[in-house]
Amino acid sequence: MIDNGLLVQMILGALLGLSVYLPMAAGQLSLATPAFYAVGGTLAALLATQGGPQAGISLGSVLGEMLLAAALTAALAVLVGLPVLRLRGIYLAIATIALVEIVRVAILNLPFTGGATGIFGIPQPFQHPFGYVWLSGGLLALCGWLFQRLEASRLGRSMAAVRDDELASRCMGINTTRVKLSAFVASAMLAGVTGVIAAHYLNTWNARQGSFDVAITTLAFVILGGSRSWLGPVVGGLLLTALPELLRPVGDLRLVLFGLVILLGPVLFPQGLITPALLERIGRWKP
Amino acid sequence: MNTTTPLLELQQISRRFGGLQALSDVSFSVEEGEIFGLIGPNGAGKTTLFNLLSGVTPASSGAIHWRGRAMQGLSPDRHNRLGIARTFQNLRLFSGLSVLDNVVAALHRQPQGSGLDALLNTPRFRRGQRELQERAFGLLEELGLADQAHREAAGLAYGDRRRLEIARALATNPTLLLLDEPAAGMNPSEKEQLCALLSELRERHQLTLIVIEHHVPLLMQLCQRLAVLDFGRLIALGTPEQIQRDPRVIEAYLGGGS
Repeated sequence: MIDNGLLVQMILGALLGLSVYLPMAAGQLSLATPAFYAVGGTLAALLATQGGPQAGISLGSVLGEMLLAAALTAALAVLVGLPVLRLRGIYLAIATIALVEIVRVAILNLPFTGGATGIFGIPQPFQHPFGYVWLSGGLLALCGWLFQRLEASRLGRSMAAVRDDELASRCMGINTTRVKLSAFVASAMLAGVTGVIAAHYLNTWNARQGSFDVAITTLAFVILGGSRSWLGPVVGGLLLTALPELLRPVGDLRLVLFGLVILLGPVLFPQGLITPALLERIGRWKP
Repeated sequence: MNTTTPLLELQQISRRFGGLQALSDVSFSVEEGEIFGLIGPNGAGKTTLFNLLSGVTPASSGAIHWRGRAMQGLSPDRHNRLGIARTFQNLRLFSGLSVLDNVVAALHRQPQGSGLDALLNTPRFRRGQRELQERAFGLLEELGLADQAHREAAGLAYGDRRRLEIARALATNPTLLLLDEPAAGMNPSEKEQLCALLSELRERHQLTLIVIEHHVPLLMQLCQRLAVLDFGRLIALGTPEQIQRDPRVIEAYLGGGS
């Protein structure tokens, strides 16, 4: 039922969910993930199709693109984050939605990004889609390890403190600007790198890849999965990406069912599927 | 003449919020090691003064000097770095974290290895974490909260939450500790204990304390000097005996009987 193609999409969903989760773990509702995803994807599309369409590309080049995308999105996130992170709550969400729109319109209108049709024939590093499972799955595993370490570290604790009470954190000497910016930059880098994989996987890239819809979908990953642990957005991203495909047998009704899940999820699981209480129970469970 | 510079000196501090004059021309200084009380009726500007001293709100005019240096325009985290920590009248704990982690989060300046150490979980990182936990436990023990270390902060009893705020503030290793109504909601025997505890903490951590408290007898017992605010003005300043006899204080508290 789950083929390699769907598995890759699910993993990409989990990665984008983690990207939305990062600022949220520091109390910031940022919807900027699609903007950085689009920047990463466009960068990969442009670099890989230089000098006309090519049949293949080495994995090394793709990894190189990922590093470049990480550097570019990090620089962009610092520039955007410094002014924008002064906003709080819903105002930050609105400003980041504006960023998503600006990037989308820019990609649509720049002379070298292919306009509405986008960029075609992005070369493949793998003969078989299974290669993408390894690449994206490897990145997800790496993220899992990094997030686990983050939560045990000073930055992770500072993020949790800022999420709970920003003013109190400042009065305890925590440089909240730096903490929030670190989370925002890491979130942007993750989205950019994910965009590189997605561009190669999809073979084509256009302005619609990083739209407002994606912002809402990826936010739903975190809300349904749970925002108190990094496992939440991973589970949410995997499930919500798979669901429309798994519901395909029921025909057009699937979109209604998908909508119902997004609607009822927060009602039935207000803290998301993965809650701290659940993790504690799993931790204590001895076979 | 006193030649040593005071720890903290306020020079004609005023703060306006729109049409409301929350503080006007307040001047006093606090010496190192002192326990200084701040009293006044509701709305007198006591918490506003704390917000100014911790960098949360800037003064409209006037100057605040820390060890003789002006500290206008510094952010709250810079204030804390200088050595000023505070508690909040309306408790502001990190409610999603455990009691222990509330203190550990405030111990962020204690060396704990580099980011790389954290990433690779090196022995140095683990040692740092152990020391962090021990230090946090030590502070919780001092405040009588060690047995509740692993509970969620939000689940604590009211008086315990007040004490946890003090433990968290102490974790930042302050010189000056601002306590905003530390005894609020406590019963008389708890207040008595708190009073002893504060004197003890001052000794052990070499603290200077500024305490806002409505329970005047507690302050009379605890403080060397008191300032009385009324409608944003400093109406009296002196030892507990002087304050008790001051006719303006009696008028502010009991109303102008004519």
